[in-house]
Amino acid sequence: MPSRPTLSHALRLLALAAALAAALPARADDYTDVSQLVRNGKLADALTKAEQYLATKPRDPQMRFLKGVIQTESGKTGDAIQTFTRLTEDYPELPEPYNNLAVLYAGQNQYDKARTALEMAIRTNPSYATAHENLGDVYARLAGQAYSKALQLDSGNAAVAPKLGLIRDMFTPAQAATKGAKPAPVAAPTATPAVPSPAPAATPAAPSASAPAPTKAPEPTAKPAPAAEPVAPAPAPAPAAAPNPAEKDVEAAVNAWAHAWAAKDMAAYLGAYGKDFDAPGKLSRKDWEKQRRDRIVGKSSISVKLSNLSIKVDGNKAEARFRQDYKADALSVSSRKTLHLVKSGERWLIVKESTGA
Amino acid sequence: MPRARPGAPFFLQQALSLQVCMGRRLSSFLLITALACASLPTAAAPASARKAAPAARQPAAPARDGQAENRLIEAYRLVGQGRRREALAHTERLVRDYPQFQLAQLLYGDLLATQVRPGKAVPGRPEASAPALNELQQEAQLRLQALRERPPPGTVPAQFLALAPSARHAIAVDTSRARLYLFENGHHGPQLVADYYVSVGKQGVEKAAEGDMRTPLGVYFIGSNLDPKSLKDFYGAGALTLNYPNPYDLRRGKTGSGIWVHGTPPEQFARAPQATDGCVAMANTDLARLLRTVEVRSTPVVIARQLQWVAPQSLQTERQAFTSQLQAWQQAKRSGDLQRLLAFYASDFASYDKSLADWTPVLQREVHKLQGRNFALKDLSYLRWSDSADTMVVTFGEVAEGARTGPVKRQYWLRQGGGAWKIFFEGVIG
Repeated sequence: MPSRPTLSHALRLLALAAALAAALPARADDYTDVSQLVRNGKLADALTKAEQYLATKPRDPQMRFLKGVIQTESGKTGDAIQTFTRLTEDYPELPEPYNNLAVLYAGQNQYDKARTALEMAIRTNPSYATAHENLGDVYARLAGQAYSKALQLDSGNAAVAPKLGLIRDMFTPAQAATKGAKPAPVAAPTATPAVPSPAPAATPAAPSASAPAPTKAPEPTAKPAPAAEPVAPAPAPAPAAAPNPAEKDVEAAVNAWAHAWAAKDMAAYLGAYGKDFDAPGKLSRKDWEKQRRDRIVGKSSISVKLSNLSIKVDGNKAEARFRQDYKADALSVSSRKTLHLVKSGERWLIVKESTGA
Repeated sequence: MPRARPGAPFFLQQALSLQVCMGRRLSSFLLITALACASLPTAAAPASARKAAPAARQPAAPARDGQAENRLIEAYRLVGQGRRREALAHTERLVRDYPQFQLAQLLYGDLLATQVRPGKAVPGRPEASAPALNELQQEAQLRLQALRERPPPGTVPAQFLALAPSARHAIAVDTSRARLYLFENGHHGPQLVADYYVSVGKQGVEKAAEGDMRTPLGVYFIGSNLDPKSLKDFYGAGALTLNYPNPYDLRRGKTGSGIWVHGTPPEQFARAPQATDGCVAMANTDLARLLRTVEVRSTPVVIARQLQWVAPQSLQTERQAFTSQLQAWQQAKRSGDLQRLLAFYASDFASYDKSLADWTPVLQREVHKLQGRNFALKDLSYLRWSDSADTMVVTFGEVAEGARTGPVKRQYWLRQGGGAWKIFFEGVIG
């Protein structure tokens, strides 16, 4: 059983909700500030700031979600339930408020209500892994209650102890549930410190110090491209201090590709692939492009972040290896990816894309 | 979970094979019950049960007798057909309407547990050896068995040799099936109208002594309908008293008292198959129908280990044979010949504390009073009870010619070694 983070997930969800809203990146700072305050335990300040923001934008789902999280953290369960309930009324298409409602209800041993909320979350997003996971927990609790009633055992004692534990248990990393996207080593933000540290998703991820260029980057290709090459023989030593100019160009190309993907700029995204691109799953180029369009354009929001990027250049060929953290709506996948690029004129174009460790 | 033992019932083995097909380990008790009913005749769950399901969404679903069981069986059937989502939804409504129905809660727990990822703990999941679980499994099997093996249509328990036309209802209990059968008596004789799961004594049946925690076997009559307000919550919706020990019991030295048909406490919809101190306990919703329906004093309650179901016509010969016996007694009484009349009475006759010698003057007075007039046996009923001996419980109103009413009498007859019937008890009961 993977260890699970605590309330951090709640705030990771928050970011998604925000992205779904008017998607105004300019406001990300306000969210970040509030999240930061929550993370530092300054709940009162966080609430004040959230309230100020909501005074001008009372319907803003992301800030309202944050407010719900603050209330949850402050132990104001009733208020938090109200906040999330209203969110579900105003934005019934968002699964996250349902999920958090379920967590709150479960914390009160109201498993029937928790179940209903989770079923709503799943109805709005069938591949919402967290909700599925939570629902499993709630079913287990409900089963336990039913057994207690069946055998006329006093369930009172058993119900009290796990109450707090459950909240902690409820949150799980949103695991990718989409077909094919076999999240390799799921980057479960597991070892979350005891202090609930909401990891704001929309915040520009603090680039991991070692990686030279943390940027936005690819998703797991729908079908792990028929990995022609086995795991690259060379462990691709990260380019040290001074990368050569060719490496810089490749890095720029990869970042541009990730950026186009996250921005849903289909022309730029598809343009990053060379004519000789080996489309996965024996798809024709045309079918593959259509599939990519379908999968990208339909998303409310996409975030692609790259880390641990290492680049090897050999003449007019290059190989870029990195960790890719992809989020789209409620889906969150972290995986290893390798891009093979070929220099065509002045540009580096992708000819092969493979996912896997 | 118990594995199939060699020689385990067929349905248990089936259960295990299904476990494999489902690819997920399930509490076998769920499957046992589910499979056992997969072969149930559809008639077991009347259309009313199915109709009741949507209505149950409303909070105040009227609790009808038998409904909870019908809905449980329907849920089992859904499980048996592999329609587990529907079964879960169905059972959820059932436990909402009958939260104290432990068997329904057990199924609900099982169905929820199947939704939990394998390997994940389900808190409170009972050990296979838990006594309370075993009782529930027995209850489930008994309920299913009683529904699977129905009395053949049109048949009646062999004990119902002749019911008085005035007796509007009759009750028979088959303790091996934990089942009470309610009959309506009309022009066409007794018709089975409902049957319910019941619990009997902790130590089983054949009560012999005070405090033996057993339910008596025999022919009884409802004495009174006790006001539930006068009863502890433990008895639920009410209680019907039975006349245990009856004269046949007393003759054999049986002791004890206070055997009732009663309801269940508020915290339990139904009790385990063997749970009482000797009473017959049933769900309050089921008992409520009896309380509304049956008449005190005239309603017989036959409690048998195993009821024998026969076509009413097949009782004809026996009925006629006993009728002529009874007519012979009637003739003797009318003849005014006391010796001839006394020949019908057993030497060890006992009417409460009166021996035959004490009773002879009573008979003499009655004969004298008749003065050769004929008399009618009004509302005659006889119920046969056979165990180590063959007995007949006869009830009638003795109305002399020219009179409008007469005393209601009950006689207990015992078949002697030579085949002749003799009266060992006679008394006025009303």
